Amino acid sequence: MAIENVVETDVLVIGGSIAGCFAAIKAREQGLDVTIVDKAYAGKSGAGFAAGMGYMVFNPEWGLDLDACMKAINIKGEYINNREWTEIVFRDSWARYQDLLSWGAEFPVEEDTLLVKDFLPFGVVRIKRRKITPLLRSQTVKSGIKIIDRVMVNDLLKQDGKVVGAIGFPMDSEELYIFKAKATVLSAGYNSFKPAGAEICSLTGDGEAMAYRVGAEITCKEFPDVGNYGMNPYPAWRGGRGSRACFRYYTDAYGQEVKTHHQYESDLTLEFAMHAGRGPILWDIDSATPEEVDRMRKRMQHSDALESERIGFDPGHGGKFLQAGGGAAGAPNAQTAGVWPVNTKCATSIPGLYVAGECCGTRYLGAYHPAPGFGLTGSSVTGSRAGLGAAEYAQQAEEPVIGDKELSVLKRITYAPMEHKGGFSPRWVTQVLQNTMIPYFVLHIKHEKRLQAVLTVIEFLRDHLVPKLIARDNHELRLAHETKNMVLNAEMILRCSLLRTESRGQHYREDYPRRDDPAWLAWVKLRDEQGQMKLEKVPIPREWWPDLSQPYEERYPKRFPGE
Amino acid sequence: MTIERIDPELCNGCGICVNSCPVDVIRMDKESQKAVIKYPEECMCCDYCELDCPQDAIYVSPERYVPHMVAW
Ligand code: SF4
Ligand code: SF4
Repeated sequence: MAIENVVETDVLVIGGSIAGCFAAIKAREQGLDVTIVDKAYAGKSGAGFAAGMGYMVFNPEWGLDLDACMKAINIKGEYINNREWTEIVFRDSWARYQDLLSWGAEFPVEEDTLLVKDFLPFGVVRIKRRKITPLLRSQTVKSGIKIIDRVMVNDLLKQDGKVVGAIGFPMDSEELYIFKAKATVLSAGYNSFKPAGAEICSLTGDGEAMAYRVGAEITCKEFPDVGNYGMNPYPAWRGGRGSRACFRYYTDAYGQEVKTHHQYESDLTLEFAMHAGRGPILWDIDSATPEEVDRMRKRMQHSDALESERIGFDPGHGGKFLQAGGGAAGAPNAQTAGVWPVNTKCATSIPGLYVAGECCGTRYLGAYHPAPGFGLTGSSVTGSRAGLGAAEYAQQAEEPVIGDKELSVLKRITYAPMEHKGGFSPRWVTQVLQNTMIPYFVLHIKHEKRLQAVLTVIEFLRDHLVPKLIARDNHELRLAHETKNMVLNAEMILRCSLLRTESRGQHYREDYPRRDDPAWLAWVKLRDEQGQMKLEKVPIPREWWPDLSQPYEERYPKRFPGE
Repeated sequence: MTIERIDPELCNGCGICVNSCPVDVIRMDKESQKAVIKYPEECMCCDYCELDCPQDAIYVSPERYVPHMVAW
């Protein structure tokens, strides 16, 4: 057995994304001892910076109006946004923006204004990944936070019903890490199935999976991300370099335009076009006017686009690019799916466990993603709140005690793939999972029969392949735990999708193509009950219902095929 | 093919790329003290290593190690 490295801390933060850094800094400001652990590198982690070209800020002095913003989210989120959290994020966003400024952040100015006017009524400012990530890192270091990079946490430690730390292993050496913490903030990002398009292959739902295994509640897994980010031969977001500038100029195999609802919104339009046999879908810059190409170029200069001339992509060169299906497959609608927070301090139903960022299911955007920038802001807000919440809890918590029995069980689980001589390689199981889950007719255009069929396959993966994953070194051990977590997330996605017998926002059921009010003015919440995934429906408060006397077509401006 | 090469002539062994890679593709070679491509299968072509390398020693091509099916 490996050498044990015991780390004791007041507040443990798992995942050094923008949420994790905010959580750690805020907890540290309360005078506590804080440790961040990240399976890659704290400060640079997370989905936010892979995607990020914007940061949403609400500031009345910029002429923004809270009622207009709230109303827009209610309608776009198709009324299942948690309005308490929607308002919190808008109201807190200014303070988080000020934090970033005080740490030295700069926000590039676009055409003489700070705000990106395309996204009104929301206030969205530009960010650059390469400018902000080093600041987050240096601010955490300056604050005196202990950082442990390149250590993957694979499970939480639970004792007497409370979370008292975590267990993990490093990439570069053999020792085992045992974290003893008075309070733990989980900010390990969202799930993906390591897709072709987006740069999110490190995000494998570890947070939700770990939380689920200690009995926490998970919500809203049925709403997928629908961004068609992938392009071939430019297969990824490539550092946020410009892909958001291209939600337009889609053409189908017949040369017909495929019109999305809004230039920046990624609805299911492309999936429906594919389903109708109009594929492959191309991103066709040749069809843009010179003025439009110029606008794209300008926009990309504000991101990390064109930063390196050789690898930067210049729309001025034109071209037609094949869309990779399921570019962000496995990812949820940002800020919607995640561990259910039980209060506005981001506590969970398990004492000692707090959640932040993309694995915190605030549902503040509801069923739909309105514009770029909302993920980073939501994550800063929940990060900050979870950090303060965890600090408050840690201040009155007793020294964590971990029983030998519990620890030895988790150690065995941690290293199990190393012990298996024969079995299944995590890379192969991941590919099987990808080929099972990523087809558009599973993840995006859903039907009871297909969901059931795929669930049968995923249950087989869970019961037969996952327990026999093999790893030859710590890199593969990481792959094995990631694979296990992705399979668990797949099961959550399928079960939530089956239960929601309606269509809403980014969740589309071919067999139930309409919204079902008021029956589904509700959230799905799930948890582990003696080894079974138990789902329940939680109605949204009645005062958040839309006006049901308003005709359906006005209540819901978007039509689904088949309704 | 994915992260294609790290030029040992240019690499100064600073280790920045090892930390930049979110999916643990790059490692430092203990003997030569240079960065090497260890697990190219996981490379997601994000270019972070290439953008962050102060020596311009890394070249990432946009094609994946295991080609994905595109356009469904
Ligand atoms: S960042 Fe560049 S110079 Fe530094 S170790 Fe990596 S390849 Fe070498
Ligand atoms: S391109 Fe991205 S995934 Fe590939 S080696 Fe570089 S940092 Fe890692």
